[in-house]
Amino acid sequence: MALPQSLRTSVTPLELELIASEHLVEIVPLITMEKTAFISGAYGPLRPPAKCRIPLWMATNLKLKKKCHIVAPEWLSVDFLQERLTRETSRPEFSKLPFRFAEIAKVILDVASDDVQNADKIKSLLKDLREARQAKSRDGLQKLDHSELSLPNLCSMEINEIRPFFIQSMGILTQLFREPSAE
Amino acid sequence: MDIDDDDFFTNLDQSGRVANNNAFQERLRQAPRDDDGAEILDAPPFMLEEEEETPLQQLIRHWMNERHSPDILPNEGELLAGLLDHIRSQSETVQLLRTDPSSSEEEHFRIMLVQTEVERVKFIVRSYLRTRLFKIEKFARYIMTNPEVQQRLSESEVEHARRFARLTDQHFYHSVLQSLPETQQTLDDQPPFVPSMVTEPDKARAVFVLARQDCPPVRLPDGSALDMRKGHISLTLYSVVEQLIARGEVELV
Repeated sequence: MALPQSLRTSVTPLELELIASEHLVEIVPLITMEKTAFISGAYGPLRPPAKCRIPLWMATNLKLKKKCHIVAPEWLSVDFLQERLTRETSRPEFSKLPFRFAEIAKVILDVASDDVQNADKIKSLLKDLREARQAKSRDGLQKLDHSELSLPNLCSMEINEIRPFFIQSMGILTQLFREPSAE
Repeated sequence: MDIDDDDFFTNLDQSGRVANNNAFQERLRQAPRDDDGAEILDAPPFMLEEEEETPLQQLIRHWMNERHSPDILPNEGELLAGLLDHIRSQSETVQLLRTDPSSSEEEHFRIMLVQTEVERVKFIVRSYLRTRLFKIEKFARYIMTNPEVQQRLSESEVEHARRFARLTDQHFYHSVLQSLPETQQTLDDQPPFVPSMVTEPDKARAVFVLARQDCPPVRLPDGSALDMRKGHISLTLYSVVEQLIARGEVELV
């Protein structure tokens, strides 16, 4: 078939990673490169040690060949994440994070953990954050009805995680509600 | 619809190859782009949305919309053609640069990066087309009985739907239907209390929507109104947001 069974109902985390890799990150290049035209835009010129903004996939590529250092985004720091975690555990609503933070953090920590300060601490903070938020989205299931559920500040990876269950539940609620009016 | 063919992208236009290495190298360097205006701003705050969508970002959005929506969405032919042209010109440049023995190490890096991106974009284009192909085959009969739906498809997609519907019809007829009583030989009759035998998109399926801008209020099935501000995320029925998706005011995530 045109689309494999596993891809029909949802997208895979790897596909989300592919999309997130279009985001621009700052790097400190270790090679020079003239400004070059890409399909997503023109990037460069790279002139060490001047910083430059390029897509994450390109940064990953260069990093793996040891041709650049990735500058972690502002939010990928102990201070910021600690503050968000405190807020996450003390308030009922989801705190605001970049929409694709999980994917971007994963890619950066996978390939460039030596460029990130306190990478281990950040990893454990991200994990705590994820657990706190996961508990909240499970709670959100109680509020599910047949018409609408607002999920402010939920992030792409979290949506993908709850998607199959939430969509099916809502489908069942819709069916239950539709029956009486169909009489 | 042979999207798995590796030469799919390059076969589209084999003519008009100019063997002028310097000119092409120059072209790669000077970076003339048909969709300029995507200059990179200095360190925007991370919460800031991108101002102008590049064609690739548009395709990614339509790709995700298509993946999540239960119905088949309008074909983005122009956008796709533009990107395919771009892929082709990038690959041609790469081809020419690779055959040039005098290219430096730096040049090799750029070639490698350009090629990587071409592969990434090809993946997205393929996945987008495959998703549509899947829906066309699933809803072939429904598409052929609905001229309104056919308008959302490209010519070759309609042609594929027509052939596919005819093949399945013939298959059903030869394998089962011909041995049934004449009154039961059709697929589109609608006996009471039995679901239709023609697969139709389930517009009552729930989808996750993200508002790209402030949206006009839409009516929910329970009678209340949903007023979405920019950045609002909601889980609701596809039928509720169908119009907003068509106008590009929301995207599916």
